[in-house]
Amino acid sequence: MRRQIALFLFIAACLLITPARAQEGHPLKGSWIGTWGPSKVHSNDLLVIMSWDGKAVSGTINPGTDDIPLKNATLNPEGWVVHFEGEAKDKAGPINYVFDGKIDGLAFHNRSISGTWKSNRESGQFKLQRQ
Amino acid sequence: MRFIATATLTLLLLAGARIAAHHEILAKFDDKKPTTLSGVVTLVDWRNPHAHLFMNVKDPKGTGVLNWAVELESVIDLQDGGWNRDTVKAGDSITVKGIAARDGSRQVWGDSVVLTATGRRVLNVTLTPPPPPLQPRPVPRWSDKQPRLGPIPGGVQGYWGFPSSTVLMEAGTNIKMDAWGLLANIADAPKVAPMQPWALALYKNRQSRFLQDDPMYLNCKPPGGARQFQLRYGVQFVEDRERQRIFVLVGSGNSNYRIIYTDGRGHAGQVGGDDDNPLYYGRAVAKWEGDTLAVDTRGFNEDFWFTNGGLPHTEQLKLLERFTRTDFDTLKYEVTIDDPGAYTRSWSSGWTLRWVANEELPRHLCQENRP
Repeated sequence: MRRQIALFLFIAACLLITPARAQEGHPLKGSWIGTWGPSKVHSNDLLVIMSWDGKAVSGTINPGTDDIPLKNATLNPEGWVVHFEGEAKDKAGPINYVFDGKIDGLAFHNRSISGTWKSNRESGQFKLQRQ
Repeated sequence: MRFIATATLTLLLLAGARIAAHHEILAKFDDKKPTTLSGVVTLVDWRNPHAHLFMNVKDPKGTGVLNWAVELESVIDLQDGGWNRDTVKAGDSITVKGIAARDGSRQVWGDSVVLTATGRRVLNVTLTPPPPPLQPRPVPRWSDKQPRLGPIPGGVQGYWGFPSSTVLMEAGTNIKMDAWGLLANIADAPKVAPMQPWALALYKNRQSRFLQDDPMYLNCKPPGGARQFQLRYGVQFVEDRERQRIFVLVGSGNSNYRIIYTDGRGHAGQVGGDDDNPLYYGRAVAKWEGDTLAVDTRGFNEDFWFTNGGLPHTEQLKLLERFTRTDFDTLKYEVTIDDPGAYTRSWSSGWTLRWVANEELPRHLCQENRP
C-alpha cells in the first residue's frame, strides 16, 4: 500500500512539473478551465474548448453529456475582447447564455479570459485560464 | 555640430555591432540607456548562448562597490572572433560601454570592452561572409547530374550560412527591421505580410514587447518553417540517396534536424501511429524539378514562431519551398506561405545563403531560461 501511495505521489509530481503546451497561433484556440458563478465563493467549474478554422471560432462549453455548443463566438483584436454564446435546456425550458470578457496575458501560454455572463435567468462573472 | 555627427556615427556603429547575438538584444536591453562602466572583473562565465563578465563597479551613491553583469555575444561567435575564456580574467580592470537592462537590474549589453592596462578593445565580433570567388564555381553534381546540396563525401566539408536576409517579409516590400525582425516603425506592420486582423494585432503585440516572448529563446523551441534558413548558425543538408531522404541539420536549432522525404510518399503516414500529431518542422515531401528541389511541407504545430520577428501562423500552414544551388557557393531559397488561418492570401519571399567551406555546422545548444 505504501508503495502504491509513493507511486501515485511520484506520478502526480511528474504531472505537476510537465510544462504547459505553448500556443503561438490564434489566441483563443485551446482548452480553457475556470469558474463561473454569482460570486467567488459560490461558483461552478467551467470548461470551454475553442478552435479556429481561419474564419470562425467554434467550440464547446463543458464537454460531456450536457455540453453546450458555442454560438456567435468572436475575438475582437482591438482590446482582445471575447464574446461567445450558448444555448442549453433544462426542465424549466431553454437557457441562453451570453459571455463577454477580455484576454489578459496575451503573450503567455496560460493567458486568461475574465468577464461577465448572463442568461435569461441569472448573471455573474467568469474567469478561464488556458491550459 | 561635429560632435553630434560623431556621436551619431558612433551610435550607428555600436548599433551595427549588435548583429550576432542569438536573440533580440532590445528584448532585454534598452538602447535609450547608454551606459559606461569601469571596474574590476570578478568572474568570466564563458558559456552559450551568451558569455557574461561580472565586474565590480564603484557605487556612485556610496563608498562600496556594485556587481554588474555584462552580457556578450555567444561563445561560438566570440571564438570566431579570435577570443577565448582567458582573453579577460578575473582581476582585470576594464571599461565597458553598452546599453542597460530595461528592468533596471545591474545588467548591461556590452557593445565594447576595453582592457585598462593595454587600452585594447577585446571580445568584439564582426560577422563577415566568406569572400565570393573571383569566378563562380560550377554546381557540384552527383553522377546522375542532380545537384548536390550538402558536403561532398570524402571531399569538401561545409554548410549554408550568412543568409542575405534574416527577416521574412513579402517579396517586393522593403520595410526597415533589425536583424531579428524588430520593426523600426511599428506602423509598417500591415505591410510585412497579408495578415488577418487577429494575426496583425498579435504580431504588433509581439513587436511592442521587443520580441521578448520568442519561444525559441525562452523555451528552446525549434525554429520550424522558413526561420531555420534565416538564423545565425546556418543549415547543413545531408543527402541520403539510398533511403531517398534529405536531413536538414539546423545549426541554431538546438542540434535538431528536419527530414525531407524524396521517395514519393505523401504527407500522411510518414511516421506510423503519429499521423495526426503536428510537428515543429512539419511533414516534408519533395521532388526535383530540374535543378530545383521543390519541397511541400505541412502539418506544423503552433508552438513556435516560424519567422524572426514573430509573424503568427496556425496549424493550417503549408510551405512550398524551392532550393536551387545556382553555383557552388550560392543557394537560392524561395518560399510561398499558405496559411488561411492567419493570412488573407498566400504570399512569397526568398533570399540566398552562402556556402561556408571547410567548416562543420556550428554546434549551438539552447539552455532554457539562461540569458
